[in-house]
Amino acid sequence: MTTVTTGSTPTSFGVWISGLWLIVSLELRQRVRGTAWYVLLGIFVLLVALVTTLLWAATGASLVGGGGVFSLIVFFVLLLGTLVSPALSGNAINGDREAGTLATTQVTLISTGQLVLGKFVAAWITSLAFLAASVPFLIFAVSAGEVSAATIGTSIVVLAIELGVIAAIGVGLSGVVTRPLFSIVVTYLLVAALSLGTLIAFGLLGAATKATTTSTFTPVLSSDFDPETGEQSNVVCGPAETTTYETPRFDYYWWILAANPYVVVADASPGVFDEYGSPSDSFAWIAVSVRQAQTPPDLATEYNACEEASSGYSSYSGEYPGMQGPGPTQQEIYDSALPSWFVGLAIHLALAVGALFWAWRRTLTPARRLAAGSRIA
Amino acid sequence: MQLGIQVSGVSRAFGSVQAVADATLSVLPGSVTALIGPNGSGKTTLMLMLATLLAPDAGTITINGHDPATHPQLVRASMGWMPDVLGSWPSLTVRAALETTGRMYRLSRATATARADELISLTGLEELADRPSRVLSRGQKQRLSLARALVHSPSVLLLDEPASGLDPAARINLRELVRRLAGDGTAVLVSSHVLAELDEMADAAVYLTNGRTASPEALARAGASSRAWRIRSLDAPALASALTAIGVSPGITSVDKLGTLVQVTGEAAAVELLGRLIRADVPVCDFGPAVGNLEHTFLDLNRGTDVMEQGS
Ligand SMILES: Nc1ncnc2c1ncn2[C@@H]1O[C@H](COP(=O)(O)OP(=O)(O)OP(=O)(O)O)[C@@H](O)[C@H]1O
Ligand SMILES: [Mg+2]
Repeated sequence: MTTVTTGSTPTSFGVWISGLWLIVSLELRQRVRGTAWYVLLGIFVLLVALVTTLLWAATGASLVGGGGVFSLIVFFVLLLGTLVSPALSGNAINGDREAGTLATTQVTLISTGQLVLGKFVAAWITSLAFLAASVPFLIFAVSAGEVSAATIGTSIVVLAIELGVIAAIGVGLSGVVTRPLFSIVVTYLLVAALSLGTLIAFGLLGAATKATTTSTFTPVLSSDFDPETGEQSNVVCGPAETTTYETPRFDYYWWILAANPYVVVADASPGVFDEYGSPSDSFAWIAVSVRQAQTPPDLATEYNACEEASSGYSSYSGEYPGMQGPGPTQQEIYDSALPSWFVGLAIHLALAVGALFWAWRRTLTPARRLAAGSRIA
Repeated sequence: MQLGIQVSGVSRAFGSVQAVADATLSVLPGSVTALIGPNGSGKTTLMLMLATLLAPDAGTITINGHDPATHPQLVRASMGWMPDVLGSWPSLTVRAALETTGRMYRLSRATATARADELISLTGLEELADRPSRVLSRGQKQRLSLARALVHSPSVLLLDEPASGLDPAARINLRELVRRLAGDGTAVLVSSHVLAELDEMADAAVYLTNGRTASPEALARAGASSRAWRIRSLDAPALASALTAIGVSPGITSVDKLGTLVQVTGEAAAVELLGRLIRADVPVCDFGPAVGNLEHTFLDLNRGTDVMEQGS
């Protein structure tokens, strides 16, 4: 009897990669190559086409440039990716276990690492296909002008990474949770927690954590008004009146928003502003809103009308009291705050790696502990 | 390096269920050993431990000199496992499934293709080679599963109920294939509930009861216990009266249309009984053990445990 002689060099990197690729192609052939999948892709393309057309009309892209359309298409791809990817990857490992094909792969020279990574790569490629299908529409948006190469590059790369994170979470959970349906649901819940849960948590926590703001106002009780100059004399000051009210402290919780995949994509691409310092695409809008939350509220405001009146202020000079000129522009807010996207991306990458590692641990053979009620074969 | 399978004192529990407890057996290269036991006695669990999928709680296993718990890769390279559950990639064709498995054992593309063709004709799947395995019948899937276990020409073969679902011709093919592989030096461990079939293909048998392998003493006792022999005569009344005259002990168990069943202890006693019947001029046309060796031992061993369970 001959034995497999090539089995004696299991450390060779090339052999390892070709084993990994074998699993990737097996996965793609198993899960993806089916009419249903192409129908799904077709529906996706239709939806993106519809959304692009509507956005084009709504934003007047032919006049203001394609930045708005481009960023919204990217978000739409992220949305559909998060909706489709868990269903395709969320039963990668436990589905195979149920079908009895996991153990037959594990008795071969394919290692658990190759198996888990191969399934992850296949799931990622599958969701990247959705990104690839939307490329014509992205190009279309770019063709309207005003979209910088940096925006195109970063947003697409970060979007691809985010799709990979979701694929990794799906595959990871499918190795941890025993029942396929349950792991798919848990993947959806986790994705929902990141996409919506972060918003809800941010809003509720910020609103629930109130700080007392005091505002002090010193009024003028009486004065003589000179109509010629607009100045006041014989000013009699009243007592300072202090009012207190509650302000939400969103600045404590801005980092929660950083873990939102949409925020990561938006914040990562370089902010584009028009000449008035206003955001010119939805990436910048979101980035500004998130970064604005970093600024703590002013806890003690003071307006001393009396002092102002006695210091020779003229109401004719056109300046309003208590105002330090026009507030900062949104671009100024954006530039002065911390970029949060790499915090969010780091959280996501940690989640993805952690999920895959956990799945790897749970799928290692020979198995010592089995999940209650699961059989290897 | 000790070739073949060596198992000593292996046990494995799932929570409170002790699936395998202190199992000991060995399968030498070139031999076929039957693994026999009632449902839930731990046969599949033992095979999973041999197949590097499950770690034993205690005891040692070596397969071709390697421990599956510490060197699974070395064991896998020379071990073929046919699981008791039918699992195949549903959308792959039979040929693609075999090629993929070959590639998983690091065969080159060309070798894997050639090997797939070889195995397709070996297991009689030629007509189905290009159909997706989703459409295969149970027996056809079973053949595919066997072919998959043989892809890398393993020198140790673990077959978990390989004959279930196979038609009579396929069973004969399986038996011949297993004997041929053993003739080439493969160590084969095969479990089955069809004991008559194992009787014809196995050189040795290991009995599992509640996860324990039967001790040699228990086996000797079971072999020596009285068992039923079937006697058929052209003249049934003459046989009946002759048996009464001889006064066989422990006695006639039953009479059915295939003959008379008589409990006889040991083969020597059977030879003597036959001689006396012939001398009494009974026209005996059939005289032999009513159940095969394996079945007799199996039933006797498990009858033993039943008695023990009732007694305790
Ligand atoms: N993963 C598991 N978790 C819990 N109990 C298990 C598990 N796998 C097996 N068992 C139990 O261990 C015992 C042995 O099971 P095993 O599958 O080895 O039996 P078997 O001898 O192969 O039976 P059969 O002849 O029906 O195939 C059974 O009682 C079974 O319920
Ligand atoms: Mg079994």
